Amino acid sequence: MSALLAADLAPFPVPSIEYSAISPLIAIFGAAVLGVLVEALLPRTARRPVQLVLTFGALAVAFGLVIWQRDTRATVLEGAVTIDGPTLFLQGTIIALAFVAALVMAERRVDVAGDDFAPRASALPGSDYERDLTRLGWLQTEVWPLLLFSIGGMVLFPASGDLLTMFIALEVLSLPLYLLTGMARRRRLLSQEASLKYFVLGAFSSALFLYGVALLYGFAGTVSLSGIAEALTDDAQQYGLVLGGTALVAIGLLFKIGASPFHQWTPDVYQGAPTSVTGFMAACTKVAAFGALLKVLFVALGGVRWDWAPMLWVIAVLTMVVGSIVAITQTDMKRMLAYSAVAQAGFVLVGVVAASPDGMAGTLVYLVAYGFASVGAFAVVTLVRDATGEATHLSQWAGLGKRSPLVAGVFALFLLAFAGIPLTSGFIGKFAVFTAGVASGAVALVVIAVVASAIAAFFYIRVILLMFFHDPAPDGPAVVVPSSMTTIAIAVTVAVTIVVGVIPQPLLALISDAGVFVR
Amino acid sequence: MNPENYLVLSTVLFSLGAVGVLVRRNAIVVFMCVELMLNACNLAFVTFARMHGTLDGQVIAFFVMVVAAAEVVVGLAIVMTIFRTRRSASVDEANLLKY
Amino acid sequence: MTSLATVAAQGADLVAPAAPDGVFSLVWLLIALPLAGAAILLVVGRRADRWGHLLGTLMPVASFIIALVMFAQLLGRPDEQRSVVQHLYDWMVVGTFRIPIAFQLDQLSMTFVLLITGVGSLIHIYSIGYMRGDPGRVRFFGELNLFVAAMLLLVLADNYLLLYFGWEGVGLASYLLIGFWFAKPVAAVAGNKAFVMNRVGDMGMSIAVMLLFVTFGAVGFGDVFAAVPQADETTLTWIGLALLFGACAKSAQFPLQAWLLDAMEGPTPVSALIHAATMVTAGVYLVARSNPIFDAAPAAATAVVVVGAITLLMGAIIGCAKDDIKKSLAGSTMSQIGYMVLAAGLGPVGYAFALFHLLTHGFFKATLFLGAGSVMHGMRDEVDMRRYGALRTVMMLTFVGFGAAYLAILGIPPFSGFFSKDKIIEAAFSQGIVIGLVTLVGAGITAFYMTRMIIMTFFGKARWDDDQHPHESPPVMTVPILVLALASTVGGIALAWNSSIESWLAPVVGFSEPHLAIPNWGLSLITLVVVLVGAFLGWAQYGRAPVPVTAPRGAWPTRAARADLYGDALNESLFMRPGQWLTRVLVFVENRLVDGLVNGTAATIGGISGRTRRWQTGFVRSYALSMLGGVVLVGATFLLVRL
Repeated sequence: MSALLAADLAPFPVPSIEYSAISPLIAIFGAAVLGVLVEALLPRTARRPVQLVLTFGALAVAFGLVIWQRDTRATVLEGAVTIDGPTLFLQGTIIALAFVAALVMAERRVDVAGDDFAPRASALPGSDYERDLTRLGWLQTEVWPLLLFSIGGMVLFPASGDLLTMFIALEVLSLPLYLLTGMARRRRLLSQEASLKYFVLGAFSSALFLYGVALLYGFAGTVSLSGIAEALTDDAQQYGLVLGGTALVAIGLLFKIGASPFHQWTPDVYQGAPTSVTGFMAACTKVAAFGALLKVLFVALGGVRWDWAPMLWVIAVLTMVVGSIVAITQTDMKRMLAYSAVAQAGFVLVGVVAASPDGMAGTLVYLVAYGFASVGAFAVVTLVRDATGEATHLSQWAGLGKRSPLVAGVFALFLLAFAGIPLTSGFIGKFAVFTAGVASGAVALVVIAVVASAIAAFFYIRVILLMFFHDPAPDGPAVVVPSSMTTIAIAVTVAVTIVVGVIPQPLLALISDAGVFVR
Repeated sequence: MNPENYLVLSTVLFSLGAVGVLVRRNAIVVFMCVELMLNACNLAFVTFARMHGTLDGQVIAFFVMVVAAAEVVVGLAIVMTIFRTRRSASVDEANLLKY
Repeated sequence: MTSLATVAAQGADLVAPAAPDGVFSLVWLLIALPLAGAAILLVVGRRADRWGHLLGTLMPVASFIIALVMFAQLLGRPDEQRSVVQHLYDWMVVGTFRIPIAFQLDQLSMTFVLLITGVGSLIHIYSIGYMRGDPGRVRFFGELNLFVAAMLLLVLADNYLLLYFGWEGVGLASYLLIGFWFAKPVAAVAGNKAFVMNRVGDMGMSIAVMLLFVTFGAVGFGDVFAAVPQADETTLTWIGLALLFGACAKSAQFPLQAWLLDAMEGPTPVSALIHAATMVTAGVYLVARSNPIFDAAPAAATAVVVVGAITLLMGAIIGCAKDDIKKSLAGSTMSQIGYMVLAAGLGPVGYAFALFHLLTHGFFKATLFLGAGSVMHGMRDEVDMRRYGALRTVMMLTFVGFGAAYLAILGIPPFSGFFSKDKIIEAAFSQGIVIGLVTLVGAGITAFYMTRMIIMTFFGKARWDDDQHPHESPPVMTVPILVLALASTVGGIALAWNSSIESWLAPVVGFSEPHLAIPNWGLSLITLVVVLVGAFLGWAQYGRAPVPVTAPRGAWPTRAARADLYGDALNESLFMRPGQWLTRVLVFVENRLVDGLVNGTAATIGGISGRTRRWQTGFVRSYALSMLGGVVLVGATFLLVRL
């Protein structure tokens, strides 16, 4: 043992760090650390504006840096991070979605009491202390560094070049989310419960993921993705370790994606979390997790494709069917959207199962389409309110189309996009993954997907019907006029949903230029 | 001693942790079971490092410990708040969100 | 629209399409005008109450005028230059797979464009009167414009995917319009039902589009049809069946027909435009447009004929059974579209006649619906024919229009139906005696129920309540009826003159003369006799039935004696009994099996959903358990694959 240490330690290599390639990560994490300092050093009143400037500034800068780095194809940080076309595309998507979602989180006009977050998460729900804080108009500003850390983890997630980095990124993106989930201003009990459930299950799935990493390490002697791929080409032994490792790593990622049967946290957490956080989670986590899944499966585990493709086939079917069917009988808007997110994850998996460059391109298209529609839909949910906060029961949405045709129309647009109606972005996504699926021979899967999307169309259309074809209840909720923050967020998501639906070519060209992952 | 025995031990510990998550009600104990799973992973990492003669596994173990520590911070904070609200740390009582 | 001038470099087509020069660079405008109307009206809403209907009417009229100019230009060209493709932009390019947004104007789509914009314009005008005073009139015109735009997109698309967009679009518009009076629960339910059934059919369509893509690597009409000869017949049969399935839902053909009857809950102009003249004929368009596929897949074509034949009889019998004037007309529509579908399934002998009948049917059925609407308008929305009677005296203009359409649908020469329906019967007999007989019997039943309808509505004794004050509708409603009635009267002879319709359409759908064992005029004569018998039976049943109730008691033996051999008894035993029985069976099939299937599926899914959501117990430990179950599942699939 000591000889081994001496041999390895003697010429300790100085790692070369390509700062330009990881500059988006530096921007986000740097701002997050600064944000923590701001919390510690600045007076309460000054914190919010500074945090907002930091957050949006960092995201804008990071987006610019991603664009600046658009032609980088490199393995950096001694193999810990790989930057390539799809990775940059995913990073750009995550940052853009996070920016829009953060706009919704920054909204403080829709809720009379302040923003979407509890003034102090530790205050007992319903206590005098909490009431006092609310009356004083205190706002929680720690959410911003948390948000930035989470975004940083997401941006790192698909860029990881080895499984250790991926595990760290997974934790860095998850831990702040567990906390953000528990910080809703209204319905504190639900929020706390969601936080606990998310945490327990998330930690459980991380442990499964980590054991998978250990098994793959045992097989390959390295955790680098390209190293595992190499080991797969020349080593035909020890498939037990490979398969076990593949299964557990995939499960860890499928959990984040919200694929059935690992989806059960989704409805509870989406319902309990502050709605603006739900929008952020639904869009960004899913994009990041799919990016990581693609990377692991294509870069490291391409050699056992014939083992994981059937597994994903089964999971995809289960996810689509469970998501679409259970969503039908939901009565809570956020919960219904959560199940819809599960179903959508199943549709994206069709593109992954295709295991082809077309399938990957389709997956990316779908993620963009779904991500923006999702942020937009949850942003609309924050606007429909009654005296007790958001009115999320479906019956409360009846007749919304008569009271506020614009808001109801926008929401209907997002639902149509989820349903995959032509000339919305959702159609392009479905079309891209389904054709890729058919082209790779997964015809049965695509037929199931078409049937599932027909079932899913029911509950989307049902909501549209409810909004436009029913009379509003006399004491129903009202639509609050938001500040420019939410307005901009909704306008951007609407624009993306329509533009990608009508003129998808630029996006498709961008994705096909991005090419494939480098090793 | 055959390093495979350590792997067996790691598997046993991991399974114990997983079963513990399923059967224990107290959030703190559930939480400790997750830690047990992570430590089982660590054991597997160092064992494999030994078998392959590389250092990676040992380094990873340190990273995992740090992550586990961070998880403890977040986890305890969440358990604490919910305990203060509900006067109970049972994971079964947090049961408002369902169906 | 800078890319207007871009010219599509289309693949090999039967006839290489020409560049969109001159007026043809405006093809996009045909769709854009009503679409703009829809957008403006739906956005502006009630604020447009004073001018919305005028704008909404102007748009299809403008499209119609453009279409007329284009038609004139096309007529001036030789056959092979009559197909124009306007390429707007490439919508999607995935690898070698290219989907353009491009419109194809050829003889077939031109015919449809004229029908849609022409009849559409008249119905818009009519709706100004019909919807007067309705608080949702602007929304109505907006949705109607949306329908016209979607329908034009459907027929002008140059590839299956774009056609599918139009297909979804008309479905959406139809759904919105059926549920227009959504405050009525029946209307909302009917809208839902139409939606469900159309979704079922749309699945067929999307599977067809995907099969096309897999088989040919393209969805453009030109590319697909050029590649059909090399394709495998089994694949083509599946594609054909999937297309037929889609067509069945949209065109209310067996077994997806049930929604059409309920769709009558929508405002009557909607029934006239969407559920009689245009949208429901989209299935016929689809089959005719896909003629190379069906020609190469005889099994699929046979399925088309069978579907058409079943629906033809079924619709006609349903038409006999309904007392609601609109539902009776809806049954008739099913039946007439059955004729078209049947003809389209016959191949080149039938396509042209299917489309011919589609046109004439568009005229006379729209007339009938608008007439029915006019009657309802004057009768405070009463739809039960048993509460009509003797209306010809108070609604002379409506009666004249309705009467002309009646003669047209019966096929009395020289009214339009005579030319088109006769041709279909000829074509059917040339392909087989059984289908020929089906079409002939169908003609007889048609005469029966139409006679019943016109007698119950316009003749006999007034059966309406005393406080009803039936009155003629305003000119804004009667003029469109009369214009359409004129088209129903002379449209047939004008199009049949010198076989102009066949030669016009032949370059697109092909044409071969049907050959009969007996001379054509002989068959026409037989058909006419069958029709007259049907009409006579109708008169016998309903024209003479309301014997004066004031007749003295002692006179009833006289009345019994007057009940002659050909009267009620014969009707009863020969026609009415089996008819009633058949009707009952059909109603049963309709209510239990078809509805049952649809509702049952919905209920089953709902039930599964209700049960599945119980898994979500709320206990975090059970979630962890199901995750562990997932681990086992994943492990199991790995093991299974390895085995």
